[in-house]
Amino acid sequence: MSINNNAWEVAEAYLAGKLQENELNELKNRLSTDAAFANEFNEQINLISSFEGSGKQKRFRAMLRDIHAKQATASPSKKGWLIKFTPQTWRTAAVAASVALFSSAFTIWSLKPAIKKSDSQYSTISREVETIKKVQAQQQAQQNQLIKDIKNSKPAPPPSDVAYAGTGFALTNDGYFVTANHVIHHNNKGDFDSVYIQTHDGQYFKATLINYDAGADIAILKVEKKNFHFGKGEVPYTFAADKSGLGARIFTLGYPKDEVVYKEGYISSKNGFDGNDMQYTLELPVSHGQSGSPVMSANGTVLGILTGVGSEQESSTYAVSSKVFISKLLHELPDNTLHLPKVNKMAKLDRDEQIKKMEAYTFSVKVYKK
Amino acid sequence: MYSPINTEQQLLAALAAGDRTATETIYRQNFHIVSGWLIKNGGASADAADVFQEAMVVLFGKEADEHFRLTFSIGTNLFAISKHLWYKKLQKQSNGPSFLTHDPGTEEDEYGVAYEDDVNVHHEREAHYEQLDTALEQIGEPCRSLLKAYYHHDKNMQEIAADFGYTNPDNAKNQKYKCLARLRKIFYGMQVK
Repeated sequence: MSINNNAWEVAEAYLAGKLQENELNELKNRLSTDAAFANEFNEQINLISSFEGSGKQKRFRAMLRDIHAKQATASPSKKGWLIKFTPQTWRTAAVAASVALFSSAFTIWSLKPAIKKSDSQYSTISREVETIKKVQAQQQAQQNQLIKDIKNSKPAPPPSDVAYAGTGFALTNDGYFVTANHVIHHNNKGDFDSVYIQTHDGQYFKATLINYDAGADIAILKVEKKNFHFGKGEVPYTFAADKSGLGARIFTLGYPKDEVVYKEGYISSKNGFDGNDMQYTLELPVSHGQSGSPVMSANGTVLGILTGVGSEQESSTYAVSSKVFISKLLHELPDNTLHLPKVNKMAKLDRDEQIKKMEAYTFSVKVYKK
Repeated sequence: MYSPINTEQQLLAALAAGDRTATETIYRQNFHIVSGWLIKNGGASADAADVFQEAMVVLFGKEADEHFRLTFSIGTNLFAISKHLWYKKLQKQSNGPSFLTHDPGTEEDEYGVAYEDDVNVHHEREAHYEQLDTALEQIGEPCRSLLKAYYHHDKNMQEIAADFGYTNPDNAKNQKYKCLARLRKIFYGMQVK
């Protein structure tokens, strides 16, 4: 194998310890004389070994989740290692776990790498609920009631585990909607199995992915059900074709928990993270699960879609502008696929009325994995 | 049921190799200790699973580092790392309600500094991997799927050639190198910024 042949192949062989002595010598020689090559080689080695490490870790995490699920569902009498739920802790844990299942604690995408990954956490939590359901059989009637209440208040959930969740909002009344792409393709960690929305009145509907742009972090989906309608009339808000200015007042509706939550703030910088001109920087308190929420102007125009938060030090929130969304994603679709609403029915309303009007068109997006 | 692995060193080596039996054994022996402590310290059982699994990943990463020598037992390591992770998590959430009950006089102070480093190294590594994932997201198809199949799903070139419709493994391999070259540009381009 000659070094000139394929530098990547050499880097791979070097890392695997598969280079022959003469090849190794040739390599060392070139590394010491050719600085450009040495730099390239370093980067290659670094990339390959990082990639291998990252892959190993991903497989290890998946195994841990699996082990946890299996050990947790194993019969508690067998080994006695399971946590013994005393009535008190049991109650708290059940409430916490079920709240966690239906909330969406872990989905704001980290634009800054320092924020930690979290899909493992979510699937774990959903399994935790499974465990509790099993233990439930052995608990007293009073405790059973607690779970039943929680269960009965929901329509039958889809078959597999919720992997993660975010927020979405309607583009058209007949089922097209938008959310952040990372809600669907969660930080590239494997493919999703299915996506459901859960509307403000608790109903689940299955959705199909229509188009997405990972760079801009937006995705368009459509509810599959025939003759589906989000609300009684056409979507009440319109979409801004241009970016709004600094200081504009904004508000948002999202699903950081099972209930819709209202937050308000302002545009604090015209561009987003690291000068990204597809985005806005916002001064807006957000929680996990609000990824994909609409960023609304005071008069009820959609300015953008929430995508991420900054590091702990700078608590900025980022949103991709609706301008980008329209020019990037909508234009890629075949003509007449969907028509954005043209009439803003919210402009003259008070805030509480605006919110009421939007409620049917804003919902939780739940992504399931096998 | 489990083939007996006797010493802690053997267990750890098997853990680093991604061995399931060893991982299960460590999980079974230690999870209840960590989760018991965590629930007493304001965590829910879901937190316990998160924190413990994260601690296992820290140990996994630490063990993969060849310079690592186990100073204390696996159990001590996992417990101390879990505590660190949990305290950090609570600090982060300190704007919300937290039930941090501080218990001085535990071994926390004694081992504190050593494990702080482990956790920091872990977070750095996570950030690095995350950057790699971000670069991978930008690379486009078929590169993204091909690289994921090879590095994340541990498929060999034979399988990849079949899955992606290459006539032979060598063609797939060449494509993989092209993809790596593109990824390198994106990855190091990002870091310069």
